[in-house]
Amino acid sequence: MLMTRKFACSVFVAALMLVVATSVRAEDGFKASPEKEKELIAVLRSDAPPQDKAIACKKLAVDGSSEAVGDLAKLLSDPQLASWSRIALEAIPGTAPDEALRKASESLDGNLLVGVLNSIGVRRDVNSAEMLTKRLRDKDEEVASAAAVALGRIGNAASATTLRAALTSGPAKVRSAAAEGCVLCAERLLAEGKTADAVALYDEVRKAELPKQRIVEATRGAILARKDEGIPLLIEQLRSTDKKLFEVALFTAREFPGSEVDKALAAELAKATPERGALIVQAMADRKETVVVAAVSKAAGSGPKPVRLAAIKALRQVGDASSVNALLETAIDADEDLALAAKATLADLPGDKINSQIAAMLPNAKGKTYPLLIELVGQRRIEATPALLKAIDSPDKNIRQAALLALGETVSLKNLNVLISQAINTKNADDAATAQQALKTASVRMPDREACATELAAALEKAPAASKILLLDILGDVGGEKALKTLSTAAKSNNPQLQDAGSRVLGKWASLDAAPVLLDLAKTAPAAQFRSRALKGYISLARRFAMPDEDRADMCQKAFDLSKDPAEQKLILDVCRIQPSIETLKLSIKFMKVAELKEDATQTTLLVAQKLGAKGINVSEQLSTAGFQKVKVEIVKAEYGSGATQKDVTAIVKKQASDLPLITLAADGYNASFGGDPAPNTVKQLKIQYKINGKAGEATFAENALIVLPMPK
Amino acid sequence: MANTATQLPRRRFLKTALSAAGAAILAPTIIPSSALGLGGAVAPSERVIVGGIGIGNRGLYDLGCFLEQSDVQFAAVCDVKEARRTLVKKMVDAKFGNENCDMHSDYRELLDRSDIDAVLIATGPNWHCTMSMAAAKAGKDIYCEKPCTKNIEQSLILRDTIKRTGRIFQAGTQRRNLPHFAFACELARTGKLGKMKRVFAHPAGMKAMESGWLPAEEEPQKEVVDWNTYLGPAAYRPFNKALLNGFNFEKGGGFVGAFGAGGVLEWGSHCVDLCQWAMGDCEPPIEYNPPKDGHLVAKYESGVELIFREKDWIPLGSCPVRFEGETGWVEAGDSGKMVLSSPELLAGRTVLEIGGYPATFHVRDFLDCVKARSQPKTNALAACNAHIACHAANVALYLNRQVRYDNKTNTFNDDEPANRMRSEALREPWRL
Repeated sequence: MLMTRKFACSVFVAALMLVVATSVRAEDGFKASPEKEKELIAVLRSDAPPQDKAIACKKLAVDGSSEAVGDLAKLLSDPQLASWSRIALEAIPGTAPDEALRKASESLDGNLLVGVLNSIGVRRDVNSAEMLTKRLRDKDEEVASAAAVALGRIGNAASATTLRAALTSGPAKVRSAAAEGCVLCAERLLAEGKTADAVALYDEVRKAELPKQRIVEATRGAILARKDEGIPLLIEQLRSTDKKLFEVALFTAREFPGSEVDKALAAELAKATPERGALIVQAMADRKETVVVAAVSKAAGSGPKPVRLAAIKALRQVGDASSVNALLETAIDADEDLALAAKATLADLPGDKINSQIAAMLPNAKGKTYPLLIELVGQRRIEATPALLKAIDSPDKNIRQAALLALGETVSLKNLNVLISQAINTKNADDAATAQQALKTASVRMPDREACATELAAALEKAPAASKILLLDILGDVGGEKALKTLSTAAKSNNPQLQDAGSRVLGKWASLDAAPVLLDLAKTAPAAQFRSRALKGYISLARRFAMPDEDRADMCQKAFDLSKDPAEQKLILDVCRIQPSIETLKLSIKFMKVAELKEDATQTTLLVAQKLGAKGINVSEQLSTAGFQKVKVEIVKAEYGSGATQKDVTAIVKKQASDLPLITLAADGYNASFGGDPAPNTVKQLKIQYKINGKAGEATFAENALIVLPMPK
Repeated sequence: MANTATQLPRRRFLKTALSAAGAAILAPTIIPSSALGLGGAVAPSERVIVGGIGIGNRGLYDLGCFLEQSDVQFAAVCDVKEARRTLVKKMVDAKFGNENCDMHSDYRELLDRSDIDAVLIATGPNWHCTMSMAAAKAGKDIYCEKPCTKNIEQSLILRDTIKRTGRIFQAGTQRRNLPHFAFACELARTGKLGKMKRVFAHPAGMKAMESGWLPAEEEPQKEVVDWNTYLGPAAYRPFNKALLNGFNFEKGGGFVGAFGAGGVLEWGSHCVDLCQWAMGDCEPPIEYNPPKDGHLVAKYESGVELIFREKDWIPLGSCPVRFEGETGWVEAGDSGKMVLSSPELLAGRTVLEIGGYPATFHVRDFLDCVKARSQPKTNALAACNAHIACHAANVALYLNRQVRYDNKTNTFNDDEPANRMRSEALREPWRL
């Protein structure tokens, strides 16, 4: 298709703008200049297509001055460009835009007039008040509504008077807009210290015949504007049979200033229905600074279940030492819901004082309270080791296991051997899993992990065979030099089970300090499968972690030198793809010479080259050494989907084409790149018809496959 | 070998487990309706009636999260695209076993309905703020996808409107309701990392995105795609189907020359939100510098730095954040995992590892707050502050120089070019 001159021009300008858009950063710091403004005004005065004028308008929002206003104002009657023009007119300071907008309001109608009135509102042009007052009576309800809101934004006393009058007459839509304007005016009056005027305005809206939401807004304002004198009005809404008013009372209760309202809420809680009481107690607890805690505690201890549950939960935020005894009683209540809620609250209550309370109760605890307190010791990490050591010898299984878990959470390195001993030589078989879990919990939280690993390593030597695996796993979780060394020794031992466990844990190691250990193991592990496992772990480190490009390439080369299996070698190519650099590009080019890897390495090379090219890195030298030349790629047609359900994705694929026979997509996966899944739950393909250097070709790709276009024969 | 793996070799992943029966498990809380004595059924009075507006790819995911909730009744869908309306109706009707999901092409019809309590807004970013404002003024509670606003002024007006109307607003930054992110933020907020020094956010691109005035194409029938409503508050341009991907259309806005201007907003609206939560839901930074070596550094009034950076993250998945204090640090990402400077920071807690950034818990938080009229995790104030930080960073990015922001006046200090970028006119007849 031939492009018209106008269209070609606009494409050029759009392309230019896109360069600005996609690079964003200018070379020099931004400076507005009269020269820029002149150029932009010239565009507005020219016969340039609308898209060019649109962008000129947008740029004038920053570069424009009163000089540009006249030309911008001319566009206010243009349905395509009015909105672009107002972008600049709203932003340019001074009185010229106000005057231009006012003048335009005289001749426009419909949406274009609404837009102008909206801009006048944004600019809060006081001199437009008279015009807006007239427009408030416009027969076009949209225009009248826009005028009402603009008056509200101006928000002075005169606007308020005008809007107040409009509350009771005229169409419902305009009255609603007038109410919106009144609330805006009331806020401004309040901010200026004119409280009585604001309250009067809010009340007038509350009493008018308006949509419920306007009444809700005015009610909130009326409560807050009155300060403490608004509390009765708030309570009135809490008792309202109208759900919306009750809801706004809950909302407003949370933002009400001072502490008087807390007392009122506490009193109201006792009178409310259970359903409302549960909501009121939540509102009370959200006022953390001033809440009446005693009222919440009382509600938690007795009364209707919904209120109790809400109050118990609320105590997590606001409870204190005075709440503990009642919560302990509830935590062993027969009602499971209440008991669980109380336990959760006890675990979370803030404060050292509460820890002391619980620790003091533990030695003399009996019955259901005993395991509960042990559990809380663990959850709250209270130092109570002597009492817990005593408890692990209890004849009661529940108490023993609760104590083991609590020790896992609280024991120090000094007493870690107790847990090691319990884990590897449990007196009661029932406790074995719990003791092992406790040892793991304790080990991973030890501040000195080297010391912890030393303890575990020492235990490993003496442990029975079955426990050695457990200790190796825990060492893997602990990490550090000692753990690495111990695991390496195990992996190279003459015990196949230890070889297996050691290489497994090391293969999943998640930090670079394991690299030399894994490389060594990849060479020296006693069995081939463990050497392979170590090598994969080593490659995984190269893939995942930040390091200088040379180091990564060095790791990849070393891995390649040891690899025997094509699957391992493909993992190395993955590293090159995921971590593109000149070094990994050189490496993938080198791998192209390996017959088994040629195809994968070629794709990798193209992908890495394209990623580097996108970053502005010149890779032509490397590519020419690999025998690649730039090609002219033309996408003829591209479809994505399944069977008869095909989506035309030509434009997207075209956009991603480059001077290499590789298409990289903008997002991960075909569905994300092509604007959604065209055929959910089916096997999909991407079919591309294309030309490379003028020769036609066609290729089909399975969903999410790398898109490398074969050279047409 | 040089070791620059962000100090990772000296650290390890803390693999969190579910099985620590004695440990306090930090996890999202979902109270089953059975706990309320309802035997699992939800009384009609306890249901939240929801409508969906602009249900595209992301919207379908969000919709799924809403439909998982037993107390949600999904009553209506509104979309400018006919295909989307019918797809959503089919999904919803299949879920409820009826034919009751209504379809609207004009959002005003849906907002005028008195039976709908709350709306899911998952339009393109162009509409997010304007639609949220309209919903609030119509008395609806709002779950709105991110980024919620296109510029600083929108962020402020949305915050004020939500307050004025007494509505519940949850921004779709669901990571606040994932336990490992929540825990990481709590560590920073409660001083467990010592005095805070730096917080890091991944912006996923510090560049604008294209969504401009493309050549006109034949406009579909209004019933198939209502182009005028799709454009909505965005400045006029003719129909071109390439712009129908709402995801990047007018994201960010406000930039001269940049049509879409995503800037740091894409992941920034998630990651900066977490950083500011970690800082106690503080006000936005007061100083923003242009990017240097892939780092855009902003500074809070407290002196703490907010650093947008693309690289050098521990491989923990997308949307990573890192918080550094004088005595410790934590880094977390979408894998559900986190790395701590010391295991002691766990303080005996087991943090549930939930990868893949599901929004289920965030939706649940929203619904609970709708019922209690309390503030969700990413309420309008939190969202406003996070978005302003991103928008102001974008202004520094565009102007390629430092800008300073005053949180009292909500303007840039003596900086007219920057201040002119605080807002942008909406196309008629829309207003905020």
